[in-house]
Amino acid sequence: MKHFLTRLLRQPAGAIGALMLLAIGVLALGAQWFYPGDPWAMVTDPNLPPLSPGYPFGTDMLGRDVAAGVAHGARVSLLIGTIATVVAVIVGTVLGAVAGYSGGWVDDFIMRFTEIFQTIPGFLLALLMVAIFGPSIYSIVGAIGVISWPAVARLVRAEFLSLRTRDFVKAAVLGGQSSARIVFRQILPNTLSPIVVAASLMMATAILLESAISFLGLGDRSMITWGFMIGAGRTTLLQSWWLSAVPGVAIFVTVLGLNLLGDALNQALSPRRREGASA
Amino acid sequence: MKKAIRQLAFALGTALFASVAFAQAPRDGGSLNLIVTPEPPTINLGNGKLGPSSFVGSKIYEGLISLTPKLEPIPRLAQSWTISPDGKVYTFKLRPGVKWHDGKPFTSADVLFSFKQYLPATFARTKLIMGQTASIEAPDDLTVVFTLKQPYPAFMYIFEATGGTIMPKHLYEGVTDYRTTQVNNTIVGTGPFKLGEWRRGAFIKLVKNTEYWDKGKPHLDNLFFHIVPDAVGRSIAFESGKVDAIRAGDVENFEIARLAAAPGVALTKAGWEFLQPIGFLNMNLRNKPIDDLRFRQAIAHAIDRQFIIKNIFSTFGEPVNGPFPGGYVFRDTTVETKYPYDPARAKALLDEMGLKPDADGTRVSLRLLPLPYGETWQRLAEYTRERLNAVGIKTTIVATDVPGWFSRASSGDFDLAYNFVYLLGDPAIGVSQTYLSTNQLNRGTAANIDGYVNRDVDALLIKAEQETNKTERAKLYSQIQKTLSHDLPILWTHQMVMPTVYRTKVKNLISTGLGMNENFADVWIGK
Amino acid sequence: MDRLIFLARRCIKAVLVILCVIAINFALIRAAPGDPATILAGEAGAVDAGFVERIRQDYGLDKPVPVQLLTYMKQLLTFDLGESYREHRPVKEIVLEKLPATLLLTLSAFVFSVIVGVSLGIAAARRAGSLLDTLITAGSLVFFAMPLFWIGLLAIVVFSMKLGWLPPYGMSTVGAEFTAWETMLDVARHLVMPAVTLGLFYVAIYTRVTRAAALEVMDQDFVKTARAKGVPEGRVWRRHILRNSVLPVITFISLQAGHILGGSVLIETVFAWPGIGRLAFDALFQRDYNLLLAVFFVSSVMVVLFNLIADFLYSLADPRIELQT
Repeated sequence: MKHFLTRLLRQPAGAIGALMLLAIGVLALGAQWFYPGDPWAMVTDPNLPPLSPGYPFGTDMLGRDVAAGVAHGARVSLLIGTIATVVAVIVGTVLGAVAGYSGGWVDDFIMRFTEIFQTIPGFLLALLMVAIFGPSIYSIVGAIGVISWPAVARLVRAEFLSLRTRDFVKAAVLGGQSSARIVFRQILPNTLSPIVVAASLMMATAILLESAISFLGLGDRSMITWGFMIGAGRTTLLQSWWLSAVPGVAIFVTVLGLNLLGDALNQALSPRRREGASA
Repeated sequence: MKKAIRQLAFALGTALFASVAFAQAPRDGGSLNLIVTPEPPTINLGNGKLGPSSFVGSKIYEGLISLTPKLEPIPRLAQSWTISPDGKVYTFKLRPGVKWHDGKPFTSADVLFSFKQYLPATFARTKLIMGQTASIEAPDDLTVVFTLKQPYPAFMYIFEATGGTIMPKHLYEGVTDYRTTQVNNTIVGTGPFKLGEWRRGAFIKLVKNTEYWDKGKPHLDNLFFHIVPDAVGRSIAFESGKVDAIRAGDVENFEIARLAAAPGVALTKAGWEFLQPIGFLNMNLRNKPIDDLRFRQAIAHAIDRQFIIKNIFSTFGEPVNGPFPGGYVFRDTTVETKYPYDPARAKALLDEMGLKPDADGTRVSLRLLPLPYGETWQRLAEYTRERLNAVGIKTTIVATDVPGWFSRASSGDFDLAYNFVYLLGDPAIGVSQTYLSTNQLNRGTAANIDGYVNRDVDALLIKAEQETNKTERAKLYSQIQKTLSHDLPILWTHQMVMPTVYRTKVKNLISTGLGMNENFADVWIGK
Repeated sequence: MDRLIFLARRCIKAVLVILCVIAINFALIRAAPGDPATILAGEAGAVDAGFVERIRQDYGLDKPVPVQLLTYMKQLLTFDLGESYREHRPVKEIVLEKLPATLLLTLSAFVFSVIVGVSLGIAAARRAGSLLDTLITAGSLVFFAMPLFWIGLLAIVVFSMKLGWLPPYGMSTVGAEFTAWETMLDVARHLVMPAVTLGLFYVAIYTRVTRAAALEVMDQDFVKTARAKGVPEGRVWRRHILRNSVLPVITFISLQAGHILGGSVLIETVFAWPGIGRLAFDALFQRDYNLLLAVFFVSSVMVVLFNLIADFLYSLADPRIELQT
């Protein structure tokens, strides 16, 4: 473990990525401490520009503190990103594992199912789902999860397909281990690394998707998220540019950090592994 | 003496010459660039009554009259009219020599067709008002007579271009379903402009009708309606010179000041005298504790409506304390009950009702439905939430898109809902619809969705609709305002002021009470 | 011959997939609260009772959903995509009006991103570990991490408002009377910002994938052999490395097809580009079922087509791959 961490952080990408995420993480966890109270509260004069005394990122048209919004928004955006990713990973891994291990018609059936979901244009489907269930945190998380799992499923299936034929698995089968045991004890641990890498990238995409959904006006109105702030500030872009710019930078830092970390993880976990696609 | 007279004559002559020389005569030619948003589903004003359809269609189709800023009728397809002394018979003399865009002549048969068959099928408002008629007849090609069952002084207002669109009968021979027929896609009117090209998603081009009945008009050669789905894009369109005028609602209010400050640009608040939009908060009287007057009064005291006008609507609004905004006929501010911003009083009222705050400070929880049109209304909802939370009314904003909003508002699935309504020139048309107890759910969002039932007000409203004597009518409406502003079935937030920003080279852009919904025959572009 | 059979089987599977997609979307769309009747009624302001019911009957919305689905499927067989509730026009007409705009946008973005992405990826791989490599990798990541609509907005403010180089929105200059050649140039000028903005996102992906694939191929024995035999470096790259690096890129391309269509919704909104992405978005908000379903249908067909082409190209590029059925 220590060896792994050193390898991870020795790479510049890993170090920078980890640092960025740490910063955002601290902001998110400490939001209540840095900016106590309600980020929606109207605290001062409206439309203050950035670097105003006490309000480093300025205020919006109702006099709300942009910095407070970014800090509290960090929690929600990271939360949405994490949960959506977890949902997608769990669903995708289960389906991919079953397909990859079972083979035959089960595999075929699951793959057709996956293909259907990959054929429907993802973003449109997400919008549709949010429209159906009403814009709320749950529907957004669900929608993002629903359009992200196919990629994980294919990845896991490919891994399972290749690992299934390996010697150590054959030995376990001969040794009389049950299928479940084999899957969980033998194969799954070996597929963790590509899943983790995929998850980190997926989280970045989830955060971008959430911001796009909020931007189009379908975000949850009771939770302040970065995407919502960009969308809300969009119509004032020509005068209060900071309302959209600042949360945009926050998204950028987070997504970039996740990508760098994901790259570094990839290197650290499997220096000899093939990078890039396993379709 | 003679010399003095000569000097005077010379001075007068010079002055006269100067005034004639410098008074600008309308220039013919040129194109006017406007924005229409969102892209209208149709520009047939007969079956497209929404804002964008109305904006474009009003240049192609006409009604019998138009209205001055004081809402007096102006002749259009009707040259003159008389109303019988008992107020029941309206006789219109139609304009001779008018041709449809396809060359066929316009006659009283078209008017009969429009009001007896077409409009009642496509437009609920016209259907409702034509329901007041006992008969509609055309004694000859150029005369139409409407006989009412009882007097209805608001009757004239239905005849402007949107409510009383005159449709070409000859196109609709054999058609049974006027709402869905494909014939509606053939755009033929009598107006100063014809359809040139509609490039979907890009623009609508209208071209001059050279056979227009008002000789010498229109002055403009073309009208271009740019279709720009994005609000920032619309601001940029005006700023960069691509577009010559923007209507209220094209861009957010907070952009207006900046856009109007540019050189060669002017701002006007005129042109909404007929539509008279008023913004308000619907409160569902069927739900507890909203049915208690004290609760509604608490809400009224909890919200600072001056802040709303100044900060959220960027000063484009006027305070109102009742259903009649400023400039509306029969408005009587002397009888209004005012509920000033006073959060302490709000809390006291809630205490009085027995709604004590719990550990979190919450006395009661409510759902607020925001109007889903643009960021300004979202900010309004968020502001309201904060103010109500502050007095212990925990408010959740129900996130919804436009269809969801319609669905909930018209079915009564809400506690509080923001809304605005056009008052349409006369309270018989614009006010009754919202307060008559018989006009409740599933009749659209301008209806009595709050569920207000007050038989006295009902009786007054119906009586006032039929009262021909202006003084008597005024008294009735005063009484109605007094009751409504006290009872607060609705919390009126503000009279909406709708700014129009335009380049000063555009002349006569807004000359009647219909504003930008006028037919633009008089508009011209100077140097 | 083998190839043809392969294609035929894939086509049949594709049709089945599309039918399933339609059925799923059909059900989902109708699950959304509010239907066209409610909206039409709401927009009319004040109506009488029964108005909503009459509209529902007109459009067959009062029948049970499975019946509606069957009716729709039947119509689909004759390529009748139904009528739009709002515009009272055949949906096919509306979609065909806007489809070329989206195709132009997405294909341009796609070509841009592939060319730029692959070139950068190869350049980075050739000088792996150098400053250029780091710059390229970092730079492409930067655009990947920024929200698409944000870049679009900034681009408009900078390139259109401040610098005045490019038009701020739309596909063509309104009302201008251009010759055919001038029209093409006009559209091209309008196309630059939206296509590049949409494409920048994918540049990152293709750069990384190409770079990774090239690095791996470079390590392989047959490349080392070629170099040992004295084949000129340029030839090594073109003949061997490039050809083999392209494989994973092709895989990724087929995966991105659906995403690009999604991205087009955002870009078409920000730049007022009259395409089907924005059409779908508006149709969703107006619960214009037929229109929305048609866009899903067209998009799915495009994705399936893309996949088929990608598979075919893949099999051409690497004869070692067996055509799986």
